[in-house]
Amino acid sequence: MSPSPPLDGVRVLELTDESAEYCGRLLAGLGADVVKIEPPEGSPSRRLEPFLDDEPGPDRSLAFWADNVGKRSVVVPGGPDGDAAVRRLATGADVLVHTLRPAEAAARGLGSEDLEALAPHLVVCALTPFGSTGPWADYEADDLVLMALGGSMAACGYGPGPDGTYDTPPLAAHGEQAWRTAATYAAIAVMAALWWRDRGEDGRGQTIDVSAHECSASMTEWHCMTYLCSGAVHRRGPHPTLTAADGRQVAALNPDFLGPHVFANMLTMLEAEGVAGPLSDPAFADPVHRAANYREVWRAMKRLAEAHDGETLYRLGQSAGLPWGVIRSPDEVAEDAHLRARGHFVELDHPEVGRRVAYPGAPFLAHGSPWRMDRRPPLLGEHTAEVAAEWGVSP
Amino acid sequence: MALQGVRILDFTRLGFGAQATLICGCLGAEVIRVESTTRPDPIRVMPPYVPEPGEHGEAFGAATLANATSAQSANRGGIFYKYNTGGKRSITVDARHPRGLALLRDLVAVSDVVTESFAAGTLDRWGLGYEQQRAVRPDVVYVSMCGFGHEGPDTAHVTMGPTAQALTGLTFMVGLPGRPPAGWSFSYLDHVGGYLGAVAVLAGLFHRARTGEGQHIDVSQLEPATALSGALFLDALVNGRPSRRPGFPTGNRRPTTAPGGAYRAAGDDRWIVISCRTDDHWRGLLKAMGEPAWAADPRFATFDGRRAHADELDGHVEEWTSARDRYEAMRDLQAAGVPAGAVQDAADRLERDPQLAARGHFTLLGNEEVAPLPLEGLPVRLGRTPAHTGGLLHRGPPTLGRDTDAVLGDLLGMTEGEIEELRAEGVLS
Repeated sequence: MSPSPPLDGVRVLELTDESAEYCGRLLAGLGADVVKIEPPEGSPSRRLEPFLDDEPGPDRSLAFWADNVGKRSVVVPGGPDGDAAVRRLATGADVLVHTLRPAEAAARGLGSEDLEALAPHLVVCALTPFGSTGPWADYEADDLVLMALGGSMAACGYGPGPDGTYDTPPLAAHGEQAWRTAATYAAIAVMAALWWRDRGEDGRGQTIDVSAHECSASMTEWHCMTYLCSGAVHRRGPHPTLTAADGRQVAALNPDFLGPHVFANMLTMLEAEGVAGPLSDPAFADPVHRAANYREVWRAMKRLAEAHDGETLYRLGQSAGLPWGVIRSPDEVAEDAHLRARGHFVELDHPEVGRRVAYPGAPFLAHGSPWRMDRRPPLLGEHTAEVAAEWGVSP
Repeated sequence: MALQGVRILDFTRLGFGAQATLICGCLGAEVIRVESTTRPDPIRVMPPYVPEPGEHGEAFGAATLANATSAQSANRGGIFYKYNTGGKRSITVDARHPRGLALLRDLVAVSDVVTESFAAGTLDRWGLGYEQQRAVRPDVVYVSMCGFGHEGPDTAHVTMGPTAQALTGLTFMVGLPGRPPAGWSFSYLDHVGGYLGAVAVLAGLFHRARTGEGQHIDVSQLEPATALSGALFLDALVNGRPSRRPGFPTGNRRPTTAPGGAYRAAGDDRWIVISCRTDDHWRGLLKAMGEPAWAADPRFATFDGRRAHADELDGHVEEWTSARDRYEAMRDLQAAGVPAGAVQDAADRLERDPQLAARGHFTLLGNEEVAPLPLEGLPVRLGRTPAHTGGLLHRGPPTLGRDTDAVLGDLLGMTEGEIEELRAEGVLS
């Protein structure tokens, strides 16, 4: 018997806008049958650019493709008939992931109490900007607002000028990172709730309340601790970066970040490359001296950078045990030999447009229960009849 | 709690790795950190230091692992308190001592999961690799978390968060047009890698429940990040529009909003984000701004028009925001139905964010050496099996080795005398 993925046989209904679609992508990769409920005109994310060949169309949004690969699509009518269809499907599902605020969910007969009565075994996960409670529960947000309130923006951007003032704004990363973090937490919580349900005595599910704001607020490492410990507030500015001979940038942290032994390895490499200069002075064996004269360390690293292209510089650093990394654009990652050797990128056929498309695949290697990555993103309503037949309910 | 009854023998250190077991602990798993007194987890001993009550400690600043040994105690490193909630317990055992190794194998035999974040091959060298774990616990779920993982040509490469962020496109995705990437000034991928580490633990448990089989799950710090770029990856590979092109990344400008971005507010380097995605948001913005005359310009009548003239529009909006307190502007805009939020730093989240306070985001927890601090856990509410930042035991992060005796007694049935003998031999260091 070939190994099956860990959530094989788990049925997930997804009634979400784009904010939570990454949750379903993860659950589908883990083997769940993720059925996306869509209105006749399609989910809002089908209208997000960029589009295949820049031509809009419900089956052409690459934003939709990226986060809906591996799912099936069922179209339900708009209005109360559609909500009734969702309730019918819910009785045959293990999980419902939605992005409805409590009042809207209740008005549509999809509130926690309605669903608990209808399908007590169901795990319901509501992902909303601020969660179902609290003074901001009804506030509106997109990813940028959540990156601002959560704290990552305050810590991302260019540094201040010589006078200490900032002439550029705090920056948020592209790629909807606050939503993705929240969606990942949602997937973890869904798995935990299923685990508990399947081991409990009453077989009952539960309701999970995910506040994207809280998830976003949790992702800035030591910043809260620094404030609690010292009263200092971490302010924005880039990590140190070397510019290689070909103009590529390489993230080059202080070697002492990894411990005192790393410098000796770096020195050996710099000497072999003929750029060590004053670092060969035994005084630099002392980390305190290095810290006080870090400018010389950095100058030697710059001499090395000027003699090599970015990819070579990255590998030279790594050969000396340094945590250096060449800065790649998202698509340049597809060329990485290491990730390719791990079988990370998976090509799927899109026969209706005559394309074969590479997607980022498994987030980890689990040979006993491999990531499922065999279904291209669904066409609008592609599986309406199929799911009705398999689940024994008519949408 | 949802994962009550699951026992994790946890060899993780630093952020990536510890984030994974923090999540499991907050969900009710019993997490036993295996530590060393001679090689403490670096974040136990590096700044910022948790101060004595009433004092301020040293900031993170120029801290490195090379000068981190100045801590007087292994229990004051501040970053440790970010990553080790979840009621984790701490034992100290010398894995390089033959009797220590035997003890650890005995603990593997009574654990469901083993987690670690050392360089690939380290546990094998100790005699605690997957094959040796299986010998004593055939269905063990072994989750390793390290930079490049355990398979592939570059497994010797080392990463910290910023390394992985550079290599996976995350650094590139933060920046203004025509300038080098600004990147992240913290290790976002320590968190993301840890989230996927927690998913791996759960995946391993589900697989074991279905088949009775354990496995080694190999988590790197790279693969959890590749899908975070969303459509950018596909736009390049499918449409041939590479991300590395003039004008990209676009700072805070997004195709979905106009006006949209971060605008200066009153005060020193204070900012507010406003995101107008719809005509309703636009009308709400104008209402909050008091219906300014410039808004009648027909170029601003449609979303596409506003997007095409974003620079000019942003100037008008900033003129309004720059005279206003960021929280007041946020409140007025939200009252008008406009997505808006203050750019908050760590102090703001701890002291000024009423939503985090109302949700109980921070939990006061301390330990024998450290007075209670507002700490974070799993930021998700499970209705019937609530997570707790203090884990099953509602405890703060552990002092180094505080649970050694209890764990050896409870789990391995060792007597006080036997434990004392091991301690005298240097096994419990």
